[in-house]
Amino acid sequence: MTLFRLCIAITCILATCAVLLGALWAQYGLGEFPCPLCIIQRMGMMLAALGPAWLLCRAARGPVDAHDFAQCYACSILAAVVGGTVSGRQVLIHIAPGDPGYGSPVLGLHLYTWAFIVFVVVVAASAVQMLFLPRRAESHRVGVGARLSVVLLGSIIAVNAVAVFVESGFHWYLPDNPTSNRLLDELRGETPTNDETSNP
Amino acid sequence: MDALIFLLILATLVAMWRGKRRLAGMLFAVALVAVVLLFRHHATDTLPISL
Repeated sequence: MTLFRLCIAITCILATCAVLLGALWAQYGLGEFPCPLCIIQRMGMMLAALGPAWLLCRAARGPVDAHDFAQCYACSILAAVVGGTVSGRQVLIHIAPGDPGYGSPVLGLHLYTWAFIVFVVVVAASAVQMLFLPRRAESHRVGVGARLSVVLLGSIIAVNAVAVFVESGFHWYLPDNPTSNRLLDELRGETPTNDETSNP
Repeated sequence: MDALIFLLILATLVAMWRGKRRLAGMLFAVALVAVVLLFRHHATDTLPISL
């Protein structure tokens, strides 16, 4: 695996981590509770990032060939198609004139619109990677940076698991329009004030 | 449900890290299907557009 391909994979993971950290900042910094579709888009981004992460994990154990590359980036494309469908639907929900959208816009666009752009970029970047598959197996020493990027991704996934559990409490599904952390409400003995009916 | 899917994604990453290719592939597929089913559950509202 050439150093260039290694750097591309690390960049893909770090870019996804940056977006996911931005979503966490919006949740805890701005106090905006993510809706179910937002959470599903986070899952799509994580699954898309697993493609390059898998490539790095394979490269750490030995040479990687064109089949490895294709398999890993195909996983990213599949996840991005699912995530793009979800974010595209959320864009359509709020496309009617006068609809304020869900949450506060960031740089003029709502988070689900940014998510749609991210998923399109993931598909395009993965396709470009697959255009230039190596003709033979490549090996390169996977350094600390690559391992740390995978660990960072794992940490963000774990934090999201805890965050969504706090938000949903002991319920199977999140409400459509969450306005509080159900688990904390239940522990305090308060009735959750979530609106179950409006569009996310 | 959502937290379980996040844990499933984390388990997929751990399987990848440990070099369990088949397990990682299976977990990835299960996680992807779970995400699609969760989306299907939540995608029940009609779109507010008239064409």
